[in-house]
Amino acid sequence: MLRYYLKLGMLSIRANPALSALMVAAIGIGIGACMTIMTIQHVMSGNPIPGKSDSLYYVQIDSWDPNNEYNGPNELPEQLTYLDATGIDAAAGDEFRVVWSYKSSRILQPGDGADLPFEVRTRATSFRFFSMFALPFRYGASWDAAADRNREQVVVLSSALNERLFGGGNPVGESVTMNGDVYRVVGVLEPWLPVPKFYDVTNNPYEEPEEAYLPVTVAVAAEHDSAGNTNCWKPFPGGYEAFLNSECIWFQMWAELPTAADKSRFEQLLAAYVEEQKTLGRFPREMHNELSDVMEWMQDNEVVDDDVSVLLGLAFLFLVVCLLNTIGLLLAKVMRRTKDISLRRALGASKQTLFAQYVVEAGLIGIGGGVLGIALTWLGLRGIENLFAGYDFVERLVTMDWVMVLLAVGLAVVSALAAALYPTWRAANVTPASQLRIQ
Amino acid sequence: MLKMTKVSKIYRTDTVETHALREFSLEVQEGEFVSVTGPSGSGKTTFLNIAGLLEELTSGTYELDGRDISALSDRERSKVRNEKIGFIFQSFNLIPELNIFDNVDVPLRYRGFAAPDRRKRIENSLEMVGLASRMEHYPAQLSGGQQQRVAIARALAGEPRFLLADEPTGNLDTEMATNVLDLLDEINGNGTTIIMVTHELTLADRAKRNIFVRDGRVSDGPPEFRLAAAGGQG
Amino acid sequence: MELGPIWRSLSKNKAGFLLIALQIAVTMAIMINAVAIMQERARDMGRPSGLDEPNIFALSSTAFVPGMNMRALIDEDLELIRRTPGVIDAIATNSFPLRQGGSSRGFQTEPGTGKDDVGAAVYFTDEHAIETFGLMLVEGSNFAPNEVTWTEEGSDAWAGTVIVSRAFAEALFPDEEGSYVGKTMYVDQAKPVQITGVVETLQAPWKGWDGVERAMLVPQRRDFNFQRYVVRTEPGMRDVVMPQVEEALAQSNRNRIIQSMRTMDEVRYMAYLGDSAMIKMLAFIVTLLLVITGLGIVGLASFNVSRRTRQIGIRRALGATKTQVVRYFQVENFLVSALGIGVGAVLAVALNMLMVNAFSMAPMAWYIVPIAMVVLWSVGQAAVIGPARRASRISPAIATRSG
Repeated sequence: MLRYYLKLGMLSIRANPALSALMVAAIGIGIGACMTIMTIQHVMSGNPIPGKSDSLYYVQIDSWDPNNEYNGPNELPEQLTYLDATGIDAAAGDEFRVVWSYKSSRILQPGDGADLPFEVRTRATSFRFFSMFALPFRYGASWDAAADRNREQVVVLSSALNERLFGGGNPVGESVTMNGDVYRVVGVLEPWLPVPKFYDVTNNPYEEPEEAYLPVTVAVAAEHDSAGNTNCWKPFPGGYEAFLNSECIWFQMWAELPTAADKSRFEQLLAAYVEEQKTLGRFPREMHNELSDVMEWMQDNEVVDDDVSVLLGLAFLFLVVCLLNTIGLLLAKVMRRTKDISLRRALGASKQTLFAQYVVEAGLIGIGGGVLGIALTWLGLRGIENLFAGYDFVERLVTMDWVMVLLAVGLAVVSALAAALYPTWRAANVTPASQLRIQ
Repeated sequence: MLKMTKVSKIYRTDTVETHALREFSLEVQEGEFVSVTGPSGSGKTTFLNIAGLLEELTSGTYELDGRDISALSDRERSKVRNEKIGFIFQSFNLIPELNIFDNVDVPLRYRGFAAPDRRKRIENSLEMVGLASRMEHYPAQLSGGQQQRVAIARALAGEPRFLLADEPTGNLDTEMATNVLDLLDEINGNGTTIIMVTHELTLADRAKRNIFVRDGRVSDGPPEFRLAAAGGQG
Repeated sequence: MELGPIWRSLSKNKAGFLLIALQIAVTMAIMINAVAIMQERARDMGRPSGLDEPNIFALSSTAFVPGMNMRALIDEDLELIRRTPGVIDAIATNSFPLRQGGSSRGFQTEPGTGKDDVGAAVYFTDEHAIETFGLMLVEGSNFAPNEVTWTEEGSDAWAGTVIVSRAFAEALFPDEEGSYVGKTMYVDQAKPVQITGVVETLQAPWKGWDGVERAMLVPQRRDFNFQRYVVRTEPGMRDVVMPQVEEALAQSNRNRIIQSMRTMDEVRYMAYLGDSAMIKMLAFIVTLLLVITGLGIVGLASFNVSRRTRQIGIRRALGATKTQVVRYFQVENFLVSALGIGVGAVLAVALNMLMVNAFSMAPMAWYIVPIAMVVLWSVGQAAVIGPARRASRISPAIATRSG
């Protein structure tokens, strides 16, 4: 029977080419608009570290001004002070895996002096950063705990920076000079591009990861300034030393807590730490600590841009308009064929068979709309890429994967079937032969 | 009242020319009840379409009420149809989306009568065909005979000088048909000119004058027809 | 016109017309809100920064050799830039409007902790800033050269005088009528600062901040390794001067790198890239939407014409003129549009309230609603005219054909 319905469907589509094309176009355009925005939303809200997103927790404590909330009611500071980053790390000791880091930049001076110095974006962190966030190594490995402790001048390079400095060869053991300081290369990463850049969303979730990684103990000792957001509420006397001891926040801290028990023990540790600091006269606000896993943290930080949400809402309404359009056109088509339908009914077609026949026809139109929709989505993404031409990261946001392609066709077929429901019901309810008597 | 002189109508397609009327001439006086008969394809319907200003003629002249129709614009033709001619069709041609009242109202609207005037006319004409109580109904809710009576009411509501009936009983059973014909007689008795196109000789017999059309021309008609006509006059 | 019969005839084919009305309603809701967003963005983009943007460019210098004499280097650099033909003036500053990164501080009218404060962007620079930015001083006077001091990295010293934007002065002293010059405020909860000048407009570096109009010039030069230079040129000279300045600075000292050279036009473009893209995307969506709705109306009207061929023939036979047939379809469309537009106005307002709540947008301007009504009515009328014309060409002779 399906083959017969398919044949009837194709015949009917061919019999009304303009009307059918209009329907395919309406569904295709609606799907295209929706999928374009959904693709971007999908990438933006993607899970950057699928295997571990449930066991990595971002650490927040309320160290802020007693008189002013950080950023509105119940909002905690997004980052930590140097005092708290080191304090919590010390309290955690070897019992918990904790990583803290900040964003900075250095001027790299190529060895032979032939190339001009250039700026590299750096991340100052501890040796656990690499294993916690599962960074893939091409050459060498992370530095070790001793290197952090002893402030060894070591560096891990990104794949791109290694390409630029050493032509992609193995540079482990070589040295690089940044701002006059000499660092020993201990490792080189494979290309690594988490989207969003989840480990530091405070400083732009949509940029490439840093190009060089250094021990945070080294960076702080050499007074590397933060290249990220730095917020302060309490005045402090001048000098880097005073800055380290200030209430300025500029560090991001993550803890790896695989089980619920780990999480609750770490919560106790945080509480104990804050209590202890309160006795020292810090933390003037009521205690408020928070641990958010990766996806919660992405949501709290609204890494999906408001504009994308607005556009997504409008795109869905757009699809609704396209579907209303399709329903109207399908209804028109059915009403034009009442004679045909009533003849079929007179010849013994049941309501169910007629229903099936029209559902198959609508499905065909839906598939057509889906294919057109995919093509339009691709065009739409190219259009958006063009609109944001000045923004390097945009190409990461406008890539379609198979999930989205399948989703597009699925959405189109479901939409077409939903649109077909009422007209098909009307068709199935045409009384047999009622249309034959007259004329 | 109506005067056609050497009217011809040719339908052209890419390959074929069909002469539906050939130098057709006819004169109908005010107050007459004329029947037009003929075999299928004889040109009856074309005659009706031209008489009713539904189609334009290819050559010849057509005067209605002393006025040459052949040169009128579409707008003027519409106006003439609306004011002077009432139509009764075989398939009733009521508009299914409109109720009886609104159906009768259609030509009056185009005529531009004021609302109270229209209402009075609609009520009067529906009264005359005996359907005043069904004004709120839709065509599908009425029998064939009732529908045809609504169509007659619609034709009469504007008080046309001239009624064109196209197989008015073609879709009706005998009893209803008699009913409708009685109504037409009554209307003619009130002074309205009627031309009725039909292929049934018994029907044609009800008219006061009979015209037979064959091959697009007014013909002398078959012998039996002449006999019947002679009998009628005799 | 025959409103009554048209209305009754519409109600016999409810589904088809309701669909069109709904489609118009949702189209209207989308259109109005899209236009409201576009208006808001366009308004933001139209705000002046206070700078003579077409003739300004900026670049940065990062020294990387420890122990350099930064004060000497900055003076030499500025001297070199100002000497370049075509340059009007130049400054070193920590940031500038539209850059999307910079510093801000809270200022209060009395000293002490726990007092309300008003935030403002701070530009640490010197007495050349007004000339270099091209600001309009509306009150008070520019800094005297001896007012400008050097501060070291990490110092918390503050200048005793500042020049503020009018918007900042108004925000901090809302009850003040006449003059702001001479007013004292407090930074870091304790340090007094006196206003010695007011400029008409000077934006903060963050275009999305709701205090974007609040900024000030602070007569402090900072001898950090990292410096931003802002350069203003004679009209039309910017593109000539830019490469010369870059080359001259790069040559003058090899222990630093010169980078991030951008014109203010580029800075503005990047700052508002998201907004201009949003405007374009929304404009595209609205256009496409109107086309689709229009096509939907054409499709349904054509269908209605073909379905009602006989009815139209009968009407023509009964004396309807061509104009009257066209008018019939126009009135029908007008009525259906009216229903859609009525529902659409309600939907649009509801959606707008939702967006104002969820995305802290400004509420839409009321006049968008009547404009959208007229646009949709026109689209409907334009869409229906083709099928209606076709309907008017139906031959009245169709009434005599049985079938």
